[in-house]
Amino acid sequence: MNVVLGRRSFGVGAAALALAPLAARAEPATAVLVIDADPPTLNLGITTDYTAGDVCAKVLEGLVWTDRSYTAQPSLATSWTVSPDGLRYDFTLRQGVRWHDGTPFTSDDVVFTFSEILAKSHPRASATFRRVGAVATAAAPDKVTVSLKSPYAPFLQQLSVFDAPILPKHVYAGTDIAANPANQAPIGTGPFKFASWARGSAITVVRNPDYWGAPKPGLDRIVFQIIPQPASRITALETGEADFAPDFYLPKSGELQLMAQGKLQLRQGVNIPAVYFAMFNTATAPFSDIRARHAVAEALDRGRMVRQVMNGLATPGYGSFGDGFGWLTDADSAYAKLYPLEPAAAKALLAETGFKPDTKPRVLYDAARPQMVATANILRENLRAIGMDVQLVPLERSVLNDRVFARRDFEIALQSYFSAGDPAIGYHRIYQTDTSHAMLTNASGYSNIDVDRLLGAALSEPDRGKRAELYRQLQRILNVDIPSLVLFDEKTVDFASPRLAGLWPGLDPRDQWAGVSIAG
Amino acid sequence: MRAGALAAFILRRLLVAVPMMACVAIVNFLLIRAAPGDPAQILMGDFPAPPGTLVAIRHAYGLDRPLWVQLATYLAQVAQGDLGYSFANRQPVAQLILERMAATLSLTVTALTLASVLGVLLGILAARRQGRWLDTLVQTVSLAGYSVPEFWLGQMLILVFAVWLGWLPAQGDASVRSLAPPGFLEKLSYLALPALALSVRYLALIARITRSSMIQALSSDFILAARLRGASELRVILRHGLRNAAGPVVSVIGTNAGFVLAGSALIETVFGWPGIGRLLYGAISQRDTPVMLGILLVVSLCVVLANLATDILQQVIDPRISR
Repeated sequence: MNVVLGRRSFGVGAAALALAPLAARAEPATAVLVIDADPPTLNLGITTDYTAGDVCAKVLEGLVWTDRSYTAQPSLATSWTVSPDGLRYDFTLRQGVRWHDGTPFTSDDVVFTFSEILAKSHPRASATFRRVGAVATAAAPDKVTVSLKSPYAPFLQQLSVFDAPILPKHVYAGTDIAANPANQAPIGTGPFKFASWARGSAITVVRNPDYWGAPKPGLDRIVFQIIPQPASRITALETGEADFAPDFYLPKSGELQLMAQGKLQLRQGVNIPAVYFAMFNTATAPFSDIRARHAVAEALDRGRMVRQVMNGLATPGYGSFGDGFGWLTDADSAYAKLYPLEPAAAKALLAETGFKPDTKPRVLYDAARPQMVATANILRENLRAIGMDVQLVPLERSVLNDRVFARRDFEIALQSYFSAGDPAIGYHRIYQTDTSHAMLTNASGYSNIDVDRLLGAALSEPDRGKRAELYRQLQRILNVDIPSLVLFDEKTVDFASPRLAGLWPGLDPRDQWAGVSIAG
Repeated sequence: MRAGALAAFILRRLLVAVPMMACVAIVNFLLIRAAPGDPAQILMGDFPAPPGTLVAIRHAYGLDRPLWVQLATYLAQVAQGDLGYSFANRQPVAQLILERMAATLSLTVTALTLASVLGVLLGILAARRQGRWLDTLVQTVSLAGYSVPEFWLGQMLILVFAVWLGWLPAQGDASVRSLAPPGFLEKLSYLALPALALSVRYLALIARITRSSMIQALSSDFILAARLRGASELRVILRHGLRNAAGPVVSVIGTNAGFVLAGSALIETVFGWPGIGRLLYGAISQRDTPVMLGILLVVSLCVVLANLATDILQQVIDPRISR
């Protein structure tokens, strides 16, 4: 009896203990968003870190934002015109916008950000700007012209906050950009102002009452809570400690669990495509022989990978650009048609190449990523069935990158590339000839003049219909040559508490939080 | 031991600690540098770096200089109390560690205190009831407690107390929703699960050591003598038994202080506790060498100091030495 009483009273006491702080105070409208770690910096002009983008997208803005149909929408630019040759972009800037410290925002800020920060220090934008020769000039305080030396189809899309956040000239000019104190406490034009950063714990931004948008921001505060363990992020959503987490931070198994419980809002079917693929080293045996690559394509059970590796939250490899961009897929050359699962045929094909069973091709992958580990195991099993005994080589990421890209010392490398919203931004690097041995490019040794020419044309063609035709031509070549074999396309699920309303207007779940409010 | 002799003993030990810390710094530095991988590339993130950027980063952080120059520079910095600059956090390492030290100390000291007090108590109870059901229970539970991996136990505690029962929070050291500074009870509610998860292993160890030391002490002649003199049972156990059994117990507590600190890296990660363990976990995955070295050095220093404190305590409490 005593024991029972004791236990019950402990329960009540502990519950009161946990709830008291919430019940007693009238709190401002706060949303708690999950992040995985302290971001390396809060200067989004010098990093592509996902977490930095998550926090900064609430504080900073780009000239445009990208909606769910991949269309650029006005942000700091109210309108723009593009010259018929695609070489000149004229932007009209929003008037009456002020930085969070009160200084007016002008075209000088845009020109400074483009020339001094993005072109020099942004990992993705600097490469693009250099390639297309982008130069920004200010014709008036509300007019900016960007000239390109060669046309670039996804240029507008790369002007969103994630690739081209506009930063204050008066804060950064004449300073060491990488060491500026504003990198720890950013000053932007966005709907929320930076408030505090308790390292290892949380970052807080608060409502910007002077925000230019109407209506004004719906939340008083957004707290980004750092939860380092993937499983604990699922728990935080389950218990209501956190209100929102995009797919990026969540393990697939946990996502299924949350979906099964059905207590949270979720967004499925809208995502920025990313492909998982096996890159072959086409410079050395056995995969210098195209028949060996075909044998692997026929042997791999991509449907099983989707089920077991991604818990069904993916689609089996469709072709060399995946199926994430519906407008460019080519049914005639789809993998399903060219390489149905046929282990017996694959075995015969492999035998034709003179493959010796004691050769053990090495499969390199990131040991820290569960999806890669699981994929590698299925791959080994599938290839063993056709008489190819591969050697799995799990590596730490930095070592993996060095082995694959700098030294090209592998037979198969498992990789995943993020498209960043357009095949030209993220996927061309899988197939484009690369002699620089740069990280995260094409390390397969595959080089095809026709492919490079078509990729170049798809990069600069502004018309989507014509671009789609170029990508179909590319697939007809690449799906046959398969220097890299796309295994599956990731499908993302973002989760939110039912407390929140007005979510997800943008393509990127981190974007456009001005309209989010507490429901009811 | 007289005060003068004790002071000389402490001074001698501290002097020995200096070259030892230097060795720790050198070995750590060389070990981390021997591992393959390029910190500059990790800093760049997941897109191809523009040509020249990697070279510039390596130059900016001195990674392009000969290894022995880097080592000499590092040791000279450390000697002046400068632990270097974090690549990934873009902040001085000493500042990063200092900001998080309080959180780690509150977690580890609570866990170690919990483990010591409960462990000694359970050990005494088991020793008094040697061979009976309570003893068997304590022994079985402590064997299980010692064998369970801390991070797994942490996740189980979260599942039971945060997800199923909803009694205690699972993440962080205070509510991030609330604007008001956390009260004592709120802080305690956040501390409870991580401290418990971190303490169980040491609680088990201390209980087992206390039990065996107490059994040995309680079977000694001086206990029989004390009982014959008519001393109360409490006095027999505390004054005569525990005092004589304390040596090995104190020694176990002291030598495990370092392991508790190390264990907090996993526990802090599981519970999102904002301490140096978490910082270390992040630094390892980001290849943030200065932070790794800084934390290893601080933890090593804590181990050296804990061992020193243990030795001093031994000198003070052991009746054979102190009298």
